[in-house]
Amino acid sequence: MELIFSLLQQLSVYLVLAYLLSKTPLFMPLTMLSGRLSHRLTCYVIFSLFCILGTYFGLAIENAIANTRAIGAVMGGLLGGPVVGFAVGLTGGIHRYSMGGFTDVACAISTTSEGLLGGLVHLYYMRRGLIERIFNPFLALVVLLIAEVMQMSIILLVAKPYEQALDLVETIALPMIIANSVGAALFMSIIQDRKTIYEKYSASFSSKALTIAERTVGILSGGFNQENTQKVAQIIYEETGVGAVSITDRQKIMAFIGIGADHHLPGTVISSKHTKQAIDNAELIFADGYEIAYQCSLSDHCKLGAALIIPLLGSENQVLGTIKLYEPKQKLFSSLNLSLGEGLAKLLSNQILNSRYHDQQTLLTQAELRLLQAQVNPHFLFNALNTISAVIRQDPDKARQLIVHLSQFFRRNLKHNIESVTLQDELKHIHAYLEIELARFSDRLTVNINIDEVLLSQYVPTFTLQPLVENAIKHGTSTQLENGIIDVVGYLQNGLVVLKVIDNAGTYCLNNNELQQGLGLQIVDKRLKNCFGEQYGLRMSCEKGSTTCAKIKFPFNKSPQGER
Amino acid sequence: MLKAIVIDDEQYARDELIALIAEQQEVTIEVVASCNNAIEGLKKVNQLKPDLIFLDIQMPQINGIEMLGMLDPETMPKVIFVTAFDEYALQAFEDNAFDYILKPVEPCRLRKTLKRVKCKMQQENYQVLTDKPLSLIPCAGFNRYLLLKPSEIEVAYSDQSGVHIISQQSDKGAAETSCSLSLKILEEKTELLRCHRQYLINPNAIREIKLLDNALAEIVTVSGAVAPVSRRYLKMLKDRFQLH
Repeated sequence: MELIFSLLQQLSVYLVLAYLLSKTPLFMPLTMLSGRLSHRLTCYVIFSLFCILGTYFGLAIENAIANTRAIGAVMGGLLGGPVVGFAVGLTGGIHRYSMGGFTDVACAISTTSEGLLGGLVHLYYMRRGLIERIFNPFLALVVLLIAEVMQMSIILLVAKPYEQALDLVETIALPMIIANSVGAALFMSIIQDRKTIYEKYSASFSSKALTIAERTVGILSGGFNQENTQKVAQIIYEETGVGAVSITDRQKIMAFIGIGADHHLPGTVISSKHTKQAIDNAELIFADGYEIAYQCSLSDHCKLGAALIIPLLGSENQVLGTIKLYEPKQKLFSSLNLSLGEGLAKLLSNQILNSRYHDQQTLLTQAELRLLQAQVNPHFLFNALNTISAVIRQDPDKARQLIVHLSQFFRRNLKHNIESVTLQDELKHIHAYLEIELARFSDRLTVNINIDEVLLSQYVPTFTLQPLVENAIKHGTSTQLENGIIDVVGYLQNGLVVLKVIDNAGTYCLNNNELQQGLGLQIVDKRLKNCFGEQYGLRMSCEKGSTTCAKIKFPFNKSPQGER
Repeated sequence: MLKAIVIDDEQYARDELIALIAEQQEVTIEVVASCNNAIEGLKKVNQLKPDLIFLDIQMPQINGIEMLGMLDPETMPKVIFVTAFDEYALQAFEDNAFDYILKPVEPCRLRKTLKRVKCKMQQENYQVLTDKPLSLIPCAGFNRYLLLKPSEIEVAYSDQSGVHIISQQSDKGAAETSCSLSLKILEEKTELLRCHRQYLINPNAIREIKLLDNALAEIVTVSGAVAPVSRRYLKMLKDRFQLH
């Protein structure tokens, strides 16, 4: 009985050590069964130490040692698998063997087999995918119970002389079985607690990170500017609960929310040496206020006492700016926010990159549009001028009108910046263009325009219809000897706007009905898709020698989006 | 005094050019016809034999350069090309020192060009522009223009009234139209083979060659048209088809 208490006493010291160790990061790998080499190595080292510790803490009885060595061996096996269990048991066993005594061989063998037993149980549960069960303290208790019974049997079998061994077992069996089983259960419980705390921590970390990601998504796609960064900073400020949040580009503060917002004004040039260092070296800087002093570079009375500065990296690790998290002087930086900060920086960097990519795409379409506008074909221009010079001779008033139309047409073409216009405006543009063409081909071109009035206020991307009409003349009716007819029609059909430009030349077919589409038409199609979605756009169809039809479809009463 | 024809597909452009020609005093020019397309132009040129034509490049169906290729080099009038904008054509005119004017036409440029024309009225060789095979053969149908692909032609022959073409019409069998191109041009610039002084035959349309007495022969085409083969050309035909 006395032995039970003294053994339990030793066990307490042993467990206090285990508890203290559990507070260190060294213990972290034990809470996850990753099966990686580093995990196994940690298991081996830690539990070998506990195994040896168990021997030292043991009580010498009759030339043998009553001990808690089995806890280390079995736990090593349970958490590390058969190989680790075997290795831990062997290490503990060899150590025990070196201490001598009549049970030395028996103890060495039994410790090794106990480690192996733990490992086999580990294997059993792993194979069945019941990883969580391994962390159950009750399981540890049962396994230890079996292990101790096994040890006692081995001592009886191996240790000589048998009478002495029997004597010993009678004395130590009960105390050791109880102490080891309870000890293992408690040890496992410490590990389990640690694991639970860690998982809760990760869960709250993940949920915070996800919330921020969700709330900020798409904001920076609109561009890395003051307005958008202000929104993002506000969200981060709300979600992390830090003292203040700031976002800078390479030169100046773009957004600042929180304590000290009165003097950290957006637009202020960066003066903090930490920030400059973060930008120049593309490195994370944590001025905690103790080891690395932090003092606001803008105001001596600033309450902020610590700052985490993380560079925002673009392509090829080029620094786009920084994100800064601050805490006031009397508050500590939570480690959660420290690691969250890095993730945030990565998230924002990606968003900025994405927005730049988008900008470039838009620029590209703008460049193409400009090209299209500049494409005002010189043939048209010179022929128009030639026509006008002839008309001047015959009908000066009409010539004057033609000049007005021509200038209207060019003025419209020069307005690069307008992205969308009402159909009515687009028709005016077409009208100006057609007046010239009708004068040129006076004797062999007829144009009928028939557009539903409800459509007139519908917005369309600029240069949607005009290129189609131009195309119909240039590649259609102008190649006909006589009687060119162009119909421009527009109507509503199932909530969709349908616009058609039809000519009676049918010259737009290539062999096997493949449709040729010039740059101009491609841009028209692309812009419609950009504005209204992939399922809309331009479709050309052609019946050789009789008609070519350019047909546009898009939703009614929807203003174009996606272009600024 | 020079006879001239203006060929341009735009009414105002023709009017303007004719007015400018009338205004200048460099060369006395009488505009004998004004045509609104190449087919009409071809007909008038063959009919009126002008000394000079003002020829627009961009015209429907058959452009100015193509039309030039359909004119007989021996009776080729002097040509002044007129264009609003056509980089490739302009390059060719520059390279070969052909006369051209740009639309809108500057009166002084027109005077200069006409002065040059007056000084060297000898024939020019436009072959660099025109040596391409013909892709469309303009024919005059009843009250309409007919543009035939050379492959559709079975037989072309000439008589006092001009050149006639027998073509294979998809369903109606053979049809006959008149054509303003000479047999010589057709022979040079299409696949048609000479089988008689007055006949050309499309070798792909031959169904039968009937040998007659006196080393003469007769060709029957796919759609049943008949063309005589003279002694002189029979040998060439036999060579061509290896009928020995």
